[in-house]
Amino acid sequence: MLKKLLKYEIKATARFFLPLYAALLVFSLINRFLNPFGLIASSSNLNLQVIISMLSIAAYFTLMIGTLAMTIIIMIQRFYKNLLGDEGYLMFTLPVKTWQHIISKLLVAMMWTILSFLVVIGSILITASIEGLMDKLSELVKIFKNYFGTAGFFVISVYAILAVAFYIVMVYAAITLGHLFEKHKLAASFGMFCVLYFFYQIVSALFILLFSRTIFSFLIAARVPTPQEINMFLLTFALLSAVLTTVNFTLTNTILQKRLNLE
Amino acid sequence: MNNILECRNLTKIFGTKKTLDNVTLSIPRGRIVGLLGPNGSGKTTFIKLCNQLLTPTSGEILIEGKRPGIETKKIVSYLPEKNYLSDWMKVSDIIGLFKDFYDDFNAEKAYDMLKSLGIKPNDRLKSMSKGTKEKVQLILVMSREAKLYLLDEPIGGVDPAARDYILDTILRNYNENATIILSTHLISDIEKILDEVIFIKEGRIVLTKTVDEIREETGKSVDSLFREVFKC
Repeated sequence: MLKKLLKYEIKATARFFLPLYAALLVFSLINRFLNPFGLIASSSNLNLQVIISMLSIAAYFTLMIGTLAMTIIIMIQRFYKNLLGDEGYLMFTLPVKTWQHIISKLLVAMMWTILSFLVVIGSILITASIEGLMDKLSELVKIFKNYFGTAGFFVISVYAILAVAFYIVMVYAAITLGHLFEKHKLAASFGMFCVLYFFYQIVSALFILLFSRTIFSFLIAARVPTPQEINMFLLTFALLSAVLTTVNFTLTNTILQKRLNLE
Repeated sequence: MNNILECRNLTKIFGTKKTLDNVTLSIPRGRIVGLLGPNGSGKTTFIKLCNQLLTPTSGEILIEGKRPGIETKKIVSYLPEKNYLSDWMKVSDIIGLFKDFYDDFNAEKAYDMLKSLGIKPNDRLKSMSKGTKEKVQLILVMSREAKLYLLDEPIGGVDPAARDYILDTILRNYNENATIILSTHLISDIEKILDEVIFIKEGRIVLTKTVDEIREETGKSVDSLFREVFKC
């Protein structure tokens, strides 16, 4: 059943993202070949070519920011509209477990978040047309290795993925908690997000305090951490994210299962 | 166990308003039951509780002896009073979805009914009128071979000509062991298909009788009895 839910969730969301990604990449290519940045820098007066260049740059940045904004908007909208709006009447009468609904939404939202991020990075690389890109990249990798060590690549990826999951599930939890209110559900959801965010900030701070003498001692001493220290730091936070994501997930699941009240 | 649906002391409170008040009911298999009452009497609330879209304040519902959950969703076919279809989908997409999730869904039947109502499978729901969307929903719901159909205002939004077709469809597409509960306030239109009626008023059941009993005991039609009971 989870597979089928994933299929429909991808179908429902791909129709927004794929055209957006295509448009962004096309504009990156246009900007690369028109080279509007160079044209604007080299021309002294405002001619048609410069105006077109400016428009092309503006369109590119709009698309880039639009892609990132869209990722967040669709993530919220799919949960709110498809589960708690009128479409929820169908979703919640399918013979599917509640956690499968949440997981399918979460996995697809994570997929688009990561893809949007990669597409934006890709579009920047295309547009920037840096000479000797590969050399510069390998230089970057070297610097990275100095700070994080080889294990760092893995640790950072794990941390990033868990952090994405953490924020998405926190949004789900906030919307679900907000939906418990009889009136002003959207405002309540936003309020609940602030409450949860504040609460987890405090939890993180306490966490750092708790391990201030061991894992996080470099923070207190204000010195440059070794790769081992920094990886340990990230792994600890990844673990914390995983635990808090589980808490939020369970909260969301329990409310949707035991206290659902669709209008 | 001969009853497909039972509920005991079912109460649902919204804020301070008791929408359902201590409802106890047994509905046997193989019946067409009209859940009749004026607007705001608790019909929709009752049906939503059976589908686990609402959580009871107290009391319980048993469908084939089970509380609403995955197992009951497999055997209950529900027509909400809202449009629950995603606008961007084509009719054929939504048929695919029903086929994917419900083992008892008969796609062939659905396509047949679409054809006789002149709805094209490739049409997008976005381009349809409200009434056409309601027809699509009813077709989907009646194309399942379910044990219990819960139809909330199935004929509320469609024209009288389509009403006849829909009632006909309902009668033709359900087997003898299945039960249909349908809520409506358009009683005269559906009276002829009902076996039993439940009158509901301000969240309380005020009468449960078979249509034959009503005719024998009062000599009245369901419609005129309704008008009497719910006189304003």
